[in-house]
Amino acid sequence: MYSRDLEGKTYTFGVSGKLWRDALLMYDHQTRSLWSHITGEAVQGPLKGKRLRPLASTPQIAWKTWHQNYPRTRVLSVPTRGGMRESLSQDAYADYHASQRAGVSGMEYTDDRLPNKSLVIGVQVPTKDDTTQFRAYPLTHFMDTRVINDTLGEVPLLIFHDKTSFATAVFTRNVAGEVRTFSEQDKYFVEDNTGTRWNLITGEVTSGKEKGARLERLPAVNIYWFAWARYYPDTSIYR
Amino acid sequence: MQNYILTLSLLLFVVFSAAAADYTDDAIRTLLPFDAIPAITDPQFVSANEARLDADAPVIGVNFNDDSCAYSLYLLNGHEIVNDVVGGLNIATTW
Repeated sequence: MYSRDLEGKTYTFGVSGKLWRDALLMYDHQTRSLWSHITGEAVQGPLKGKRLRPLASTPQIAWKTWHQNYPRTRVLSVPTRGGMRESLSQDAYADYHASQRAGVSGMEYTDDRLPNKSLVIGVQVPTKDDTTQFRAYPLTHFMDTRVINDTLGEVPLLIFHDKTSFATAVFTRNVAGEVRTFSEQDKYFVEDNTGTRWNLITGEVTSGKEKGARLERLPAVNIYWFAWARYYPDTSIYR
Repeated sequence: MQNYILTLSLLLFVVFSAAAADYTDDAIRTLLPFDAIPAITDPQFVSANEARLDADAPVIGVNFNDDSCAYSLYLLNGHEIVNDVVGGLNIATTW
């Protein structure tokens, strides 16, 4: 999820059909520069070296859970030729997800720290010295819990994953100038160390004097380990 | 026969060397023509009640400035990119 605005101009993007590091590249219609959708950086063309601003989204969530929390949500719909709608209920890549095969080309990048096709939550935060720190949170950590309180670089992080709805969210733990610690309650609700209850789908306080306060959401991805490690080999892994 | 084995060995060597070198190779390869996978530039929406999504269907969710939007991952498989405006922000939803 990226902003399409860059240095005062707005761009639109298409699929180039080209592969770089085993992932498809986007291109912008205005300059035909090629962009990695993993890093948001232009790798070829007039805008080479420029970087799109990543935006925070919920990278994956069960429809019913999203709908419950955002009842006024719009839903993308694509009518196709003949008035038929494309299937909204089938996964064309089901075989790929189920197989041990990594990558589109069949070539495998391997970082032995985790199995290639294990799913991780990929998080990146900027540091003071203008570099970026990367950390992967294996989904296996979320079999028994839904939240991890962590610190990456100097950023206190709350990592949330609910295996039932498959919702993922990453927030900073800074609230009104102080760092809080969160513990899980029921479903996707948590309580912080001051007793305030939060909904981690919306990131908002549910009741009490802080009602309406919202955690700062950070960009996060659900991604296969081999892909994350290939783009960000310096990544650490939450153990 | 020996020639055959030698040729086969050489071939395997070349193939495996290429495979081993692949991930350090930052070459851009062409898999499909431009727009063979059609990105969405004029997205159409339905309301939540009109959406024909299974309860457990995975979606990408965004909420900016209290405007929220859900993108079915199954639909994105065929398009990869949606050029959209949500809550006044120009966004590219990518999958």
